Amino acid sequence: MRLALVGFGTVGQGLAEAVAMKKDLIYDRFGTELRIVAAFDSRTYAMDPRGLKPLELVARKQAGKGLGRTRPKSVAEMLRELDYDVLVEMTPTNIEDAEPGYTNIRTALECCRDVVTSNKGPLALRFRTLDELARKNGVELRFEATVGGATPIINLSRELLMAEKVESMKGILNGTCNFILSRMGEEGLPFEYVLKEAQEMGYAEADPSYDIDGIDSASKLAILANAIMGMDVTYHDVRRTGIRRITQEAVELAAKERKVIRLIGEVNGEGVEVAPRMVPLGHPLAISGTLNVLHMHTDLAGAITVVGRGAGRKETASAIMSDLVGLLKRNACLLNGRVK
Amino acid sequence: MRVNVDLRLKDVPGQLIKALEPISLNEGNIVGVVHNHDLVTGGRISVNVTFEYKDQRALDAISSAWKERGVEVVKMGEIFRTYAAEYLLVGDLTHAILRTITESIEGMEGVETMDLQYSLATGTADRSVLLVVSVRERERVRDIDSYLGAMSERHDFLLIRGMGV
Repeated sequence: MRLALVGFGTVGQGLAEAVAMKKDLIYDRFGTELRIVAAFDSRTYAMDPRGLKPLELVARKQAGKGLGRTRPKSVAEMLRELDYDVLVEMTPTNIEDAEPGYTNIRTALECCRDVVTSNKGPLALRFRTLDELARKNGVELRFEATVGGATPIINLSRELLMAEKVESMKGILNGTCNFILSRMGEEGLPFEYVLKEAQEMGYAEADPSYDIDGIDSASKLAILANAIMGMDVTYHDVRRTGIRRITQEAVELAAKERKVIRLIGEVNGEGVEVAPRMVPLGHPLAISGTLNVLHMHTDLAGAITVVGRGAGRKETASAIMSDLVGLLKRNACLLNGRVK
Repeated sequence: MRVNVDLRLKDVPGQLIKALEPISLNEGNIVGVVHNHDLVTGGRISVNVTFEYKDQRALDAISSAWKERGVEVVKMGEIFRTYAAEYLLVGDLTHAILRTITESIEGMEGVETMDLQYSLATGTADRSVLLVVSVRERERVRDIDSYLGAMSERHDFLLIRGMGV
């Protein structure tokens, strides 16, 4: 299966490493390989129809040399001329206009290529457009890495739980906020102090608003509402309250009632909301640290909870690999004539 | 509706079934039975039963059956199930606003009790207030959610709800 990788930052490099690491496993299981035929970063690119060496790409990038030659035109224009099977779109999330991810994904779908992405922007803002385009062209758009990192939320719901009606979902979808709120509760530290600590440890960005104002959680929740509950919402439809104003005193008052404060995303019959909530100790959502968790209720299975690591180089690569394996399995079924 | 009764039964085998059978026969749902073997007075032992009954006619039928069967009813009282909804408010919560909030919630239909705890943040004007409201019906929580949501929006409070009832 020939891959075009777009975006070669932490996520792209993590995927290249995973492709190299799992080469034998993929060959043993599917009798084929994940061959990277093109890789793009924001400025440069490398291409070889016979396959690029993933670890060499990573080494070149880490040496600050770029991937190869400078791009003469936009990635989307180059994608139109390129021969590949799957676009792996890993450019950073842009929640303002979803670019350049939206155009890259759209271009690939228009050219009848499968797409795997870790980029939340295009799905949080234009889910239905992209989903319909993929269906119309008979290709797949897979996005496990957009929500919950290594936690297998989307593929679990859309594949293993396909016969279920998911009635509601509640979850913690941002590890940075969970780290901050856990530390405030467990160590009695004020918000500003823990935020600085999170920044020093690399859990929070220099501008933390994307995490602490609930933007990241709201984007993920919009994706889940569309993908799992069949809704038609965008990031802008999510009612959103962040964690900036949570005081130490509020955390202590909640603790007196044996509750912790967590930033919870919820989708139910009444709408889609991200807000801090009081969670009883012992509740499946009362988790600590940078973990992510999703708790859903379905008509047949009842309550299901999935917990896992929500972010990181390897974790995101794991989610992208699960999507690529999903495509390999589909291809194997098509070859065997088992899909009608 | 749910009721709790103290019964006194003869301390001989088969009496407990005699006491519980009328509840099932009248479509009642037994929620709990506490059998006090140690509490024997006048040759009778004490049993406390909590059950849900369909309507007043069913409860009357159960009481009559007990009378016929020689089961003594010492005490009977209605139990209302209540739901506790919790809220944390953070912001410039003056005494006047707090009074308005508590009076409004206490005046709402179905509100049983309300507990309020607060603290004053040091160095800022923000105060944190914890409200625990008990209501008779689950649906009433929505009224309180809406009221506190509107108040928070109007006065720029941060509202932190519980996980629902």
